[in-house]
Amino acid sequence: MPLLETVDLSKSFGGLRAISNLNINIEAGSIHGLIGPNGSGKSTFFNLVTGVYQPDPGSKIIFNGHDITKSASHDIGALGIARTFQLLRLFSEMTVLQNLMVGYHTHVPYGFMSTIFNNSAVVKKDAETKSEMMELLELIGMADYADMPASELSGGQRRLVALGRAMAMRPKLLMLDEPAAGLSPVNVDNLLSIVMALKQRFGLTVLIVEHILKVVMETCDTVTVLDYGEKIGEGSPDAVKDDHAVIEAYLGQEMDDDEVRKAFNS
Amino acid sequence: MTAIYSIFGRISETIEKLAAIHRLLPWILAFALLLPLPQILSALFNDYYIYLANKICIFILLSVGLNIVKGFCGQVTVGHVGLYAIGAVSSALISLHFGWSFWLAFPIGILAAGLAGIVVGLPSVRLEGAYLALATLGLGESVRIMIAVTPLFGSSTGLLSIPAPTIGSFTFDSYTNYYYLVLAAAMIGIYLSFSILRSATGRAFMAVREDTVAAAVHGVNVTKYKLLAFVISALYAGAAGGLFAHMPPGYIHHNNFTIIEMVTLLLMIVLGGIGHIWGGIIGAIIVTIIYDQTLEFYFYQPLLFGLTMVLIVIFMPRGIGGMIDRYLATKKFIASQEEKSNAAS
Amino acid sequence: MSIFNKNFIAAGMAGVFVAGMAASAMSADIRVGITMRMISENGQRYGQMVMDEIDMINESGGINGNMLKATLMNDECKSDKGVANAIKLINQQKVHILIGSTCSSVSLPIVDITEKAGVPQIIPHSTNDKITKKGSAWVFRVPVSGRYYAGVNAKYVGENIGKKIAYLCAADAASQNDCDAMQSQMKSQHGADPAYVAQVQEKEVDFRTHMQKIKSAGVDGIMIAALAETMARALTQSYEAGIPASVRRIGSSSASNSPVPSIAGDAAKGVFFAAAYAAADSRPIARLFNEMVKKRYGVNSPDHDFSQAYDLVRITEIALKNADLKLDDENLAADRTAIRDAIANVKDYNGLASGPISFCAAATPQCRDGNRTAVLIAYTKGGKDYKTEVLARVTMPIDFGL
Repeated sequence: MPLLETVDLSKSFGGLRAISNLNINIEAGSIHGLIGPNGSGKSTFFNLVTGVYQPDPGSKIIFNGHDITKSASHDIGALGIARTFQLLRLFSEMTVLQNLMVGYHTHVPYGFMSTIFNNSAVVKKDAETKSEMMELLELIGMADYADMPASELSGGQRRLVALGRAMAMRPKLLMLDEPAAGLSPVNVDNLLSIVMALKQRFGLTVLIVEHILKVVMETCDTVTVLDYGEKIGEGSPDAVKDDHAVIEAYLGQEMDDDEVRKAFNS
Repeated sequence: MTAIYSIFGRISETIEKLAAIHRLLPWILAFALLLPLPQILSALFNDYYIYLANKICIFILLSVGLNIVKGFCGQVTVGHVGLYAIGAVSSALISLHFGWSFWLAFPIGILAAGLAGIVVGLPSVRLEGAYLALATLGLGESVRIMIAVTPLFGSSTGLLSIPAPTIGSFTFDSYTNYYYLVLAAAMIGIYLSFSILRSATGRAFMAVREDTVAAAVHGVNVTKYKLLAFVISALYAGAAGGLFAHMPPGYIHHNNFTIIEMVTLLLMIVLGGIGHIWGGIIGAIIVTIIYDQTLEFYFYQPLLFGLTMVLIVIFMPRGIGGMIDRYLATKKFIASQEEKSNAAS
Repeated sequence: MSIFNKNFIAAGMAGVFVAGMAASAMSADIRVGITMRMISENGQRYGQMVMDEIDMINESGGINGNMLKATLMNDECKSDKGVANAIKLINQQKVHILIGSTCSSVSLPIVDITEKAGVPQIIPHSTNDKITKKGSAWVFRVPVSGRYYAGVNAKYVGENIGKKIAYLCAADAASQNDCDAMQSQMKSQHGADPAYVAQVQEKEVDFRTHMQKIKSAGVDGIMIAALAETMARALTQSYEAGIPASVRRIGSSSASNSPVPSIAGDAAKGVFFAAAYAAADSRPIARLFNEMVKKRYGVNSPDHDFSQAYDLVRITEIALKNADLKLDDENLAADRTAIRDAIANVKDYNGLASGPISFCAAATPQCRDGNRTAVLIAYTKGGKDYKTEVLARVTMPIDFGL
């Protein structure tokens, strides 16, 4: 049984169909890639799955046996879907550690009333959470910056914090929206190795949207190709690489095999 | 300037050390230290300053509450004085009409303000920024107008002879006696604000302020936390209102709750530090004292206050609290880096 | 410009406030604290008039050789500010007497402060009857109390115009109040029920139906209780409906506002309202006062808030001259009591006010509402250059409205 399954997923904005009748299965434990040209509906897909947008009637999204088609974002997050944003959307006036602790929100073991009537327990639990979050920061190499406001970090560090914040949710499915955008090749490799380490350690399923094809080709088990909101190809990276429909949609022209290989590896 | 910063650094270190022994110890100590303040003020200056201390405590409750919804949860509200008015009028009416004790009327006033807080907070579900400000302004002002035109709520005469609280034969009818009550209330209010803001609730508030979409995706129920922030701040405003109503001479009038009071409150949290845990407290103390000391120059007061607000927003957007924080955080970071390089070499 | 500079420099020095806190004037001055509503143009002039009159007392040698030291504070007509001012003046300035305030909502809470501190409070403008009903032995009121005003129109109308009165009442709070008071006073003083009552919207523009009905009811007078612009329209339409001038038009308290004569024009003629001073007063003291106000403050035909500020200083002067004052630290409380008792001894002071002002020792409204005579002022000419005359003086019984 797939961990995430969408059935006839559609979304229109006015007359524009951003996603139409999309059926995607993401197998548990896999690393799934989602590629496609600009405006092909990748980010819309993320927003539909995480409840930021409401899908059109007739659509169905099933996660881990739960129908989450109409669920609110915070409930979806609580079920175990974590995501990052293309523009990161960090809580920039909060410290790195606080960012992660917000990620941990759904697992907080106390309610609002105990902050007033049983504060000592709250302080104790928070201290435990803090050390757990510090461990996570160690894993992503950001422990030194725990008390810095997120706004004062560099671009690469901010990407790591966004990843850490998503991981603090202890997710089953981690959705990364262009995690490598704007990073230098060294940083891309660093990030990928961290993602792989996290996947190993926590038994994650990972969905990656990426523009840098190399990232997708090297890490993913399965790749889905979108164009104009429709699935135009799916399979192993190697199979997709040779699919002429994909090449045409993605690169916009006919190419011979050498040229294609070049494009996918650069 | 660094001297001031390091004083604050010392204070926060001392508080941490004391809290390590018992988490209520700094509070009990601070309460004990502040208890003889009326006698000190009376000996050093005169009894007027005892009245001022009462006022500061009430303003602390108001601005700490406002800072929760505005500073921490990021919801622009200009209706806070309306809630303050509801707390004051409800508590006063219950004591005047039913003759109930302060200890019954006061909590009912707080609850009434809390309920009204839901109403003021509801627009925040759909509106943001200036639109939310307008909606809350409308609600706040309509409370004032309601009081102004309803004879039961005092209308143009106001509500007078609101009884002072009593415990047994002890009456809180002088400013010295009343100070013990408002000091206790302010301390409890500050303590609770620290408890709330330093818990998951406080972090959820801040997440909502920073980015509602990101907060929701990370499991924060945005609507619930917005309303919760409004209700908590309304409870603070209600408490402040009740204490204001029963404070000698036990008189309230609708023109105690105008937009001018609201702007003064905003100035308090802007100066003290929007979204800083000490912001409301620092702001309430400084603004009340400066306001009082410049009372004789009333022609220039609005100018002075307006200018201060603009300058703060431009040059120190995080207020005094933010500046101190920044200094302490930077110092801590530098120290940790030095430690590391020492260990390495 | 000199005032500006002085204040500006002083504002700069405000930072050094510790000095200000410690300062307490302990010389042999009689310290007077004033808290008033110093926000509108006229509000500032009333405060300035009190200060100027005190300066003039000092220039002519003070009170029995002692100078008056006055501190004027602004309460913006806000009760919390007024309370703060009073506490500051009493505890920091250690004033012997407190003058204030303009607004009833400020004077009301200050009564409790002055009573507890034992400081005489003399009120320049507030009319709310609850101020003296609180039963403080320390409060004195110069203006006519609201409880007297409430009955003045009804007394005059019942005795001089007739008992068959129609009412046109607008929905704003002040007009409703005036309308209800007039109806109940006509009932209690003269046993007269309303001949016709019409409730209209706050900004109603069409009163023709009501006017026709009032015309056919054949009344002695019409009470029009509305805000100024609405009242002016109703007045004009009452003439258009053909109600003759012999039916007197009675205004509510907003009739004193200048839009009434300027908008209503000729229709305003004969409309009257109650006050404590008439600029049209023909006594020499009033003529001189009008000239003085015009010269000093540039105001034509001063209203009763000017005259009451003036009368207040005169009454204070008389009381202070008669009080036996020690003016040292030990005797502050005794001096305050002596001043209180001296004010209570002021009898039949005849100043600008519509009637004599008298106080007495008991802590009752009868003793502390000094003036119980109102003057009825009528418009003799409408338009922008309207003119008024004194229609009558109405003195109310001392227990009225209790």
